[in-house]
Amino acid sequence: MSKAAHILGMNARNQIYLKLNTKKGRQVADSKWLTKKVLRVNELPSPKLLKLFRRPAAVVEFDWSSLPDNFVLKPVSGYAGGGIIVVKKKAKWAGEWYLMDNTIINTADLRLQALDIMAGQYSLHNLPDWAMLEERIKIAKVFKKYAYQGTPDIRVVVCNRVPVMAMLRLPTAQSKGKANLHQGAIGVGIDLATGITTHAVWQGRFLQYIPGTKRKVNGLKLPYWNTILALAVRAQEAVPSLGYMGVDVVYDKEHGPVILELNARPGLEIQNANLASLRKRLQRVEGLEVRDADHGVRIAKTLFAGRFADRVMAEEGVKTLNNEEEVKIRTSEGKRTLVLTRIDTGAFRSSIDRDLAEQLGLLAENNILWQNHFGYRSAQGRQSRPVISLTFWLAGSKISSSASVADRSKMKYKFLIGRNDLEGFLVRP
Amino acid sequence: MNTLQYLISQAIFRGVSEETVVILILLPLVASVVAAARHLLGFRGFGILIPTAIAVTFTVTGIAVGVLIFVTILLVATAARSLIRRLRLHYLPRMAIVLWFVTLAVLTMILTAPFFEFRQLTEISIFPIVILILMFEEFVAVQIGKSFREAAGLTLETVIIALMGYAILRVDWLQRTALLYPHWLILAPLAFDLLIGRFTGLRLLEYRRFRKLLK
Repeated sequence: MSKAAHILGMNARNQIYLKLNTKKGRQVADSKWLTKKVLRVNELPSPKLLKLFRRPAAVVEFDWSSLPDNFVLKPVSGYAGGGIIVVKKKAKWAGEWYLMDNTIINTADLRLQALDIMAGQYSLHNLPDWAMLEERIKIAKVFKKYAYQGTPDIRVVVCNRVPVMAMLRLPTAQSKGKANLHQGAIGVGIDLATGITTHAVWQGRFLQYIPGTKRKVNGLKLPYWNTILALAVRAQEAVPSLGYMGVDVVYDKEHGPVILELNARPGLEIQNANLASLRKRLQRVEGLEVRDADHGVRIAKTLFAGRFADRVMAEEGVKTLNNEEEVKIRTSEGKRTLVLTRIDTGAFRSSIDRDLAEQLGLLAENNILWQNHFGYRSAQGRQSRPVISLTFWLAGSKISSSASVADRSKMKYKFLIGRNDLEGFLVRP
Repeated sequence: MNTLQYLISQAIFRGVSEETVVILILLPLVASVVAAARHLLGFRGFGILIPTAIAVTFTVTGIAVGVLIFVTILLVATAARSLIRRLRLHYLPRMAIVLWFVTLAVLTMILTAPFFEFRQLTEISIFPIVILILMFEEFVAVQIGKSFREAAGLTLETVIIALMGYAILRVDWLQRTALLYPHWLILAPLAFDLLIGRFTGLRLLEYRRFRKLLK
C-alpha cells in the first residue's frame, strides 16, 4: 500500500467509518444532554448538570442568583464549541459575573445568550435547540502553563473498543479559550503507550514550542493516562451504536479525568498532530475481539506505541532482571521470606516448590485457586498441580499473582517466575 | 436523430428559448463539477445549491455585474452583522435587519446605475438579483462559530467553484453539444456522480494537508 492509502481522508472517513455510527448513536453524541444521561447511567464521570432549559419561558423564570460561583452555559446541540459561555466567578454585585478573560457579564446577557441558543443560532442547521448550565471544569495544574484561558481536553479516537489515536487540544488566544482545532486551538499528538506528547500542529503549521513561550510541545507526560484510555473505551461500550467516535476527556482539578463530550464525526487533523496515519491503524483493529476496556487499552498500547516508548518505560523504572534474582514471598502470616528465584521467560505461569509452599503456609484450603487436572507438559512430564494465589516482591515491585505448586525439591531454585508475572520487566538472558 | 434531439429541435422551433434548454441540460453537469470539486479536489464550499445558483445567475447577469452585486452583498452583509451585533436581537429579526441593509445597498446600485450609464446593471432582471440577495444568510451563517479566516476561506472556495460552473455554462462547445447531443450530456454526469460517490481516496488538497505524513 502506498503511504497515501494509510492516511484517512475525508472521503474514506465518510464512506467507510462514519457508516459505523447509526442514527441513534449520532443522536446521543449530538446532544450534550443525552450524552450526559447515557454516561451517568453507565457510571462514567461527566460534568454535573445544573439546569436544562427546554422552553424560553424557563429562561426568563430562572433564578440566576441560585447558581454556584462558576458555571458554563452551552447549547445542547451546539457544534465546534459555538455559543458557549464560561463563567469564572461572581463579580462584586449580585447578577454580575467575570468571564475567563475577566470581562463582566450580567444576568441580561446570559438570558439573551440562552434565548439565542434556543432559537438555534448555534445548533446544526439552525434548528431550535435547548440550552443547559453545567458545572465548570477547573483547569488542572499541569496545564496552567500550556493553555490560554480555557480548559485543554484530550481527544481519543476509539474504534472497535480500541483507542486508535489521541491528542491533547490546547486553547489559545485565537481560539478564545476553546479547545477546537478549527477555532485555532493547538493539537498535540500523544503516544498511546506512554501518554507522552509528541508533535503539535496549529492552524496547519507544525510547532516545536507553544507560541509565545519557550515551552516544548513534546515530552509532557499526561497524568492518569491509563484511566483516560479506559474511559474512552468505556464510553464506546456505553454507546455501542457509535462504532467510530471521538471521546473528549478533561482533567478536573478535584475529580480527575471526566468525559466532556462524545463526537460522532471526529476530525482528521489528529493525524497531523501525531504525524501518524489513521486509516492504517483503523484497519489494524478491525475485527479484533476485545474482551473489555482494559484489554482494548492493552491492545492499543501494544499496537500503537511510539518508537521511543520502550526507552521511556525503561527510564520510568522498567527494571532489567538477571535470570537469577532474590525474591521476597509473603507468607500466610504476612511476613516476607527471601527466596533465590529463577526468572524463566520460557514458562508461562510461575511455579513454587510444594515443600516451600507448605512451609510458608500457602497450601491452606482457602489459598488454593484451583487444581490443574490436565497437567503441564514440562521437564517432569505430565502431572496434576494445584494453583495457589501468591504475593511477592521482585526488584522492588509488588506482584500479586498465581503460581502452580510442583515438586521442585531436587532443583536449585524452589521458586520460578514465568512470563505471566514479568510484564514491564526486561530479562537479561 | 433520437427522440430527445427531435423534441429539442421542435421545441426551439416552436419558441422555447435556446438558453433555457442549454442551461437546463448543463445544470446536472455543473452540479457534478461542484461534487467533484469537493470529493476530488477537496474544496468545501457551501453545498450544491449556492455555487450552482451563483453560476447560473452569473450567466444571466454577465460576469462583471454578477461579481459586482455578489461582492457588494457579501461586504454589506458582513458589515451589517458586526454593526448590529451589539443590539442583542433575536436571530431572525437580526437577519431581517441584515437583509434590510443588503436590499438597500442593491437598490441604491440599481437606482444610480443609469446615471453612470451602466447599461448591464440597468437592464438586469429581478430574479438573479433576488437569488443573490437571499444568499446573504448563508454567508452570514458561515461566519458564526468560525474564525474569520475559515469563513473567508469557505466563501472564496464557494466563489471558485461557482466560477468553474460558470465557465462550463459558457463554453461554446458544450452549449452546442447540449443542443446537438443532449443524451450524452445528460448521461455523462450521472455516471460521473456514481463514480465519485464511491471514491474513498485522498482529495487533491488533502495531499497538501497531510504532506508531512506522505514523506
